[in-house]
Amino acid sequence: MINIGRSVERGDVIGKVTGETRYGGDLQGPEVLTATVIRAPHPHARVHGLELEAARAVPGVVAVLGRDDIRGSNRHGLIKRDHPVFCDDRVRYLGDAVGLVVATSPEAARAGRDATVVLYEPLPVVATMADAVAEGAPALHDFGNVLATQLIRKGDAERALAEADAVVTCVFKTQGVDHAFLDLEAGYAEMDGDVITIHAAGQWVHEERRLIALALGVPMERVRIVQPPTGGAFGGREDISIQIYLGLAALTLGRPVRMQYTREESMVARHKRHPMEIEYTLGAMADGTFTAAKVLIRSDEGAYASTGPAVLRKAVSHCTGPYRVPNVMADGVALFTNNCPTGAMRGFGACQLAIAYEGTVLAMAHKLGLDVVELKRKNLLRDGDAVTTAQVIPVASAHDCLEAALTRFGWEGRRTDAPAAHLRRGYGVSTFCFGIGYGDGYPDASRGRVRFADDGVLEVYSGGVEVGQGLHSLLAQIAGEEFGIASGDVRVIASDTHTTPESGSSSATRQTVFSGNAVKLAAGEVHRQVLDAAAVMLGLHWEDLAIHGDRVVGVHDTSVMAPLAYVLRGARERGFALDATSVYKPRTVAPTDESGRSPRAFLTYAFGAHVAEVLVDVETGEVRVQRIVAAHDVGKAINPREVAGQIEGGVVQGLGMALMEEVVTRQGRIANASFTDYIIPTILDVPRIEAVIVERPDLEGPYGARGIGEPPLIGAVPAILAAISDAIGQPVHETPATAERVWRILRSAAPAVALSGS
Amino acid sequence: MSDHDPTGSPLRALRFTLNGDAAAVDVDPRETLFDTLRERLRLTGTKGACLEGECGSCTVLLDGAPVTACLVTSLQVEGRAVVTVEGLAQGAQLSALQAAFVRAGAVQCGYCTPGLLVAATALLRDNPSPNVDDVRRGLAGNLCRCTGYTKIIDAVLDAARTTQDESGVGERAAGARA
Repeated sequence: MINIGRSVERGDVIGKVTGETRYGGDLQGPEVLTATVIRAPHPHARVHGLELEAARAVPGVVAVLGRDDIRGSNRHGLIKRDHPVFCDDRVRYLGDAVGLVVATSPEAARAGRDATVVLYEPLPVVATMADAVAEGAPALHDFGNVLATQLIRKGDAERALAEADAVVTCVFKTQGVDHAFLDLEAGYAEMDGDVITIHAAGQWVHEERRLIALALGVPMERVRIVQPPTGGAFGGREDISIQIYLGLAALTLGRPVRMQYTREESMVARHKRHPMEIEYTLGAMADGTFTAAKVLIRSDEGAYASTGPAVLRKAVSHCTGPYRVPNVMADGVALFTNNCPTGAMRGFGACQLAIAYEGTVLAMAHKLGLDVVELKRKNLLRDGDAVTTAQVIPVASAHDCLEAALTRFGWEGRRTDAPAAHLRRGYGVSTFCFGIGYGDGYPDASRGRVRFADDGVLEVYSGGVEVGQGLHSLLAQIAGEEFGIASGDVRVIASDTHTTPESGSSSATRQTVFSGNAVKLAAGEVHRQVLDAAAVMLGLHWEDLAIHGDRVVGVHDTSVMAPLAYVLRGARERGFALDATSVYKPRTVAPTDESGRSPRAFLTYAFGAHVAEVLVDVETGEVRVQRIVAAHDVGKAINPREVAGQIEGGVVQGLGMALMEEVVTRQGRIANASFTDYIIPTILDVPRIEAVIVERPDLEGPYGARGIGEPPLIGAVPAILAAISDAIGQPVHETPATAERVWRILRSAAPAVALSGS
Repeated sequence: MSDHDPTGSPLRALRFTLNGDAAAVDVDPRETLFDTLRERLRLTGTKGACLEGECGSCTVLLDGAPVTACLVTSLQVEGRAVVTVEGLAQGAQLSALQAAFVRAGAVQCGYCTPGLLVAATALLRDNPSPNVDDVRRGLAGNLCRCTGYTKIIDAVLDAARTTQDESGVGERAAGARA
């Protein structure tokens, strides 16, 4: 193969190392205006009106826009369309938008914003999930504070627990996490005739076009989204951010406009990872065979729905992870609060549950006096077993990943000494799975167009967005492979609603499988079109011809040979279309009955296993991660270097979630909305990440590839928590495991004399 | 920028050396080098993810020393030399570090890359043969959210080796010091 399985150079990399790449905040235009949002300073308040005279009097302020300037629904939201562009009479979180100031400079825009008077009447704050369900709690939406419930019923969990030889119950609490992509929300919009053209980074340009058109009340044809190069996303660009504001300003004023969030605004306004509280009960026979799980999940939704119902479903459907558990009873509820909305983030509900099931499996190993690795080996799914949703998994490769990770780590020879008296060494192992794609019957399709352009260059058109993961380079590899053309010679045209076909979101670890397949199908069709043309040119049947490298050859008659370039030229001269658009739209199935189970909840599942080694300072509680080996079955690594890069980066985001990252919210107010106070891993905090690529071909993905975006984060958190637990001899069930939390666990568990001097 | 700034101050003339060439621009006295580079000179390779000195994305060299451009007022660079990411390549010829970042796969979203390249340029100039810990210390002020840093470290070590292999400088310098 010329491209597949090779660590080819990414097409976007040269501009990124020279500084030439233009991200959303780098776009400029003549006479460009600046917009900035007026945001609520209260987590919950009634709005009695806006006084705008003072703002409009600020020199440089061109307009102050509010909900009366919007002709459409004034709503957005990926599932429920419940999030006002500008609030009507109530704000539901600190940062909710009430208006937009447009001015001739950023300074004037900020001055206008600060001069705007909004009359608020503060209302009681629903600060926690307990508040949300308390007697007499204020209803945050018409239907109350329960956004969604989800359940799974399989077998008879209550009875199986009653009959189990061993039962453990653990309670977990996970935190809010910020995506912290470096490229702040920033973009540029202008009118092109009557088309609003918006250059801003999202994760699904066609869905953003729908949301903008509906919110602003303009036909979809009059909205064009062009995604600039994008500095990270991780789910944080799934909900719409600046796009509607930019579109409204350009449409209303007919002038180019740009806007850029500050880091504080980005952290206050943008959705977060769902904090969850999980009570997990696991039953087993004396030999360790799992018999039942009972799982209760509460998810803090914040003020608006976002992708909350889907996140909750993913949490529930992944509640037993990669394990065989014959009886399962899982109930989840997503509750509205006056906190920052929560939504998509790498891991999407599955990572919170991995913390819970891995923590509980560890507790079960202790209870039974069994080695946790042996307990895993006994209970991990085997090929052909079914996950909790009832879906049969043909390639259940958690075993393969576990053995690969242990071997690479040198598990049997691991040392138990500590380098100093105040340090303890610990090891943790995680095994996990992740369903790929939206799943549960939700329409999920990618389209791809492939053609030979007039200049003879092979082109790929995809609506799928590049956010750093390397998608566009991967699509070039796949299209080129079908013709023996190196990926670097393929031209990629992408993520523009006016010129590229809809390819769904860059999320759900789906693009490699979905857009990869769509492009492969389209390339296959163009391949046949080339052979049609060659057949006419050479006077042979197309079935007797094949493309080998840069030539068309006879299958049986080896004397037949024509350069591919010659055939392409001849095909164009003869008017053959060398152009095809294909769709890949596999079927998944929504839960068919009240059990919440589905024979095909997800297209396919990815498995992995991590091994972590930590040193814990028992005097301070500080944790240092010494090693992480991360084994992932990716089916086929289309670009092994980029796959390793996804694993390494996902593991470090998981390390951040395990040890340091936490959105601290008090009474609806985020206390650490800056990079000074919200700590993400630096180069000093992480060891060399050791990625192990396992390749058991997927039955669905192109060339057997499966996708890798989210699983690395999911595995890292429970592996690190297990290693800390091993080091200190105490369970760690609350994240992040900051030095303070670990120290408190040590202090509460230790006999008083253990603390010298106290 | 401050043409319509309601609190704007009169602009002041600033002269300095930018990527080896003389630069002259009028700036607001309160303005940062970050804004001058990006907004007035349209050199947008210098990125900013926090504007409070935490992320390192806006790292530039000021008289050879890495600084965060968001914390430097522009008038501080009067008469001094500034190098940005745009000044690292020689025309179409990537620097050894840039080439190593490409080879190693050290670039994903690329937003941290300019600041990292500038910081690493200073690191390798001061220490042509760094070990892993030297690289970690030298890049401790630069956040990356995508790569997990592993390939960034690989790239810097690779660039150090490449540079020395090509010039033989490493061995000679070591010999000279001895």
